[in-house]
Amino acid sequence: MADWVRDARHHFRLYRRLLGAQARSQLVYRTAFLLDAAAAALVTATEFAAFALVLPRFGSFSGWSLGEVALLYGIAELAFVLMDIVFGGYDAPTLSGHVRTGSFDTFLLRPVPLPLQIFGSDFALRRLTRVVLAVGIVGYGVAGVDVAWTIGDVLLMAASVLGMIAFFGGLFVVGGTLTFWTVQSVEAMNVLTYGGRTLISYPMDIYGTWLRRTFTYLIPAAFLSYFPVLHVLGRPLPDGLPHWAAFLPMVVGPLLLAAAFAFWRVGVRHYHGAGN
Amino acid sequence: MTTAAPTIRTGLNLPLYLHGARLSFRRQFAYPLATFWGLVTNLFFGALRVAVLLALFGARPQMAGYTQADAVTYTGLTQALLSAFSLFGWYDLMRTIHRGEVATELLRPHSFLGFWMAQDAGRAAAQFLLRGVSILALYALIWGLEWPASPALVAISLLLAWACGFAFRFWVNCAAFWSPDAVGIGRFAWGIMGLSCGFLMPLAFFPAWFQRLLALTPFPGMMNTVIEVWLGVRVGMDAVQAIAVQAAWTVALLALARLTLARGLRRLEVAGG
Repeated sequence: MADWVRDARHHFRLYRRLLGAQARSQLVYRTAFLLDAAAAALVTATEFAAFALVLPRFGSFSGWSLGEVALLYGIAELAFVLMDIVFGGYDAPTLSGHVRTGSFDTFLLRPVPLPLQIFGSDFALRRLTRVVLAVGIVGYGVAGVDVAWTIGDVLLMAASVLGMIAFFGGLFVVGGTLTFWTVQSVEAMNVLTYGGRTLISYPMDIYGTWLRRTFTYLIPAAFLSYFPVLHVLGRPLPDGLPHWAAFLPMVVGPLLLAAAFAFWRVGVRHYHGAGN
Repeated sequence: MTTAAPTIRTGLNLPLYLHGARLSFRRQFAYPLATFWGLVTNLFFGALRVAVLLALFGARPQMAGYTQADAVTYTGLTQALLSAFSLFGWYDLMRTIHRGEVATELLRPHSFLGFWMAQDAGRAAAQFLLRGVSILALYALIWGLEWPASPALVAISLLLAWACGFAFRFWVNCAAFWSPDAVGIGRFAWGIMGLSCGFLMPLAFFPAWFQRLLALTPFPGMMNTVIEVWLGVRVGMDAVQAIAVQAAWTVALLALARLTLARGLRRLEVAGG
C-alpha cells in the first residue's frame, strides 16, 4: 500500500474521531440539542415560508413560479449548509476565537496536519436539520418545475452544489486567514458569504443591472447556481452568454478554493501568535 | 453578635437606572469599524430585500394597502430597527445566569428587571442612533423614503415595540434558570419572532388565516404596528387601537417576565465562587 494512501486513511480516521467527539458532547443535553437542531432549520424555514406564503397572493415573481424559485433557493441553501458543516472551523468568528485565546498555537504544536484540525474543530450536529429542510425545498422545486429531467441535468445540479461548496468554503478560508492580521474588519466578509448566499437564492434578473453584473463578472456568484438552473429550466442566460457558461461552476468554485488555500498558507507563515 | 438586616431597596431608583442606561448607551460606540461594516452589511441586505419586494409587486401598483414606495420604506424601517430591537437574538441575561455572574447582580440594591430594562433601553437607543438613523438616511438618499404623517403616534408605538420586545426577550432568557444550555430555546424564539413580528414580510401580505392567527399573539406589536402607523396603513382611531393593543401586551409580558424571574431565582443554584 502506498504511503499516501495510508496517510489519507489515517487522516480520515482522525477527522471522523474529531467529529464524533464533538457530536457526542453536543448530545449530552438531549432536550437542549433537539431545540437547537429545530431552531437551526427554523431560520431558513421561516425565511422561505414568508416568501412562499405571500407569492400566491401576488401571482408572479418576475416570471418565475414558486417551484422554480424553490429549486434555486433550495440548492443554494443545501450547498451553503453542507459547506458550513465542512468549513465551519474556518469561519472568521470561530477562527479569530482560536487566535485570540491562543488555542490556535496548540493546533500548530500537534503532530497532525493543521487544515485537518481546523476542518474538525467546529462540527455543529444541529445543522443536519437544515440539510434535511434544504433537501425538502429542492424536492418541492423538482416536483414543481416543468422539466423532463435527464442524467445531464441531474449531474449539472450536483456540480452546481459542489461548486458552491468550494466557492463559499473558499470565502470562509479567506475570511479566516484575514483574522491573522485583523480581527475587526472580518465582518466585511459576511457581505460576500451570507450576503452572497442570499443574493443567489433568488433569480438574479430581479436585481439592478449593476448589482447583477458585479456578482457575475467581478464576483462570479451567478455562475454557481443561477446559470445552471437557467439551463435546466431551458431559459436563456443573460447578456447573451453561451449555454456552456452554465457548466462553469465546476471550474469557478475549485479555482477560488485553491486560491484561498494559497492565501491561507501565506497567512499561516505570517502568523505570530497573540502572546499567550 | 447581632447585625442589622441589610435594607434591600427594590423600588424605583431613577438616577441609578439613568446611569445604567447611559453606560450601556456609551458602550455601543466602542467599536466604530465594526459598526461601519455592520452598516454596509445591513445596506446590502436592504438592497436585496428591496429587489425581492419590487419583483413581487411587478407591474401591480399596490397590494393590501401597500404601494411600491411603502414596500421600500418598509424594508428601510425593518433594516433600521433590526439592531435596536435585537431581532437576530439577545443572550446577555442568559450568559450572566450560566456563568453565575447573576449572583453578584442580585446583591445590588435595585430591581433586577428594572435595571436590565434600563440597560437595554440605553443599548437600543444607541443602536437606533448609530445604525437605525444612518440606515434611514441612506435609504432616503438611495431609494427614497416616506416620512410618517403622525410622528407622535409613531414615537409612542416605537417605544412600546421596544418595551414589548424587551419583555419577550427577557422572558425567553429566563429559560437559563431551568436549562444549562438555553441558547437553542433562544434561537427558536427569535426564529418565531422574526416571522411573526413582520420582519421578514409585511404581515398584511400573508394569507388571512395566518394574519388572524398572528393577531392573537404579541408579536405584531414588536414591529409590524410601528410600520403600519408610520406608513399610514393604520390611521386615526385604528392606529390608537393598535397602540393600545401594544401597550396591553407590553404590560402582560412584563408581568410574565417578572413572575418567571421570581420563580427562576427561587431555584437558582450558583456553582463555585
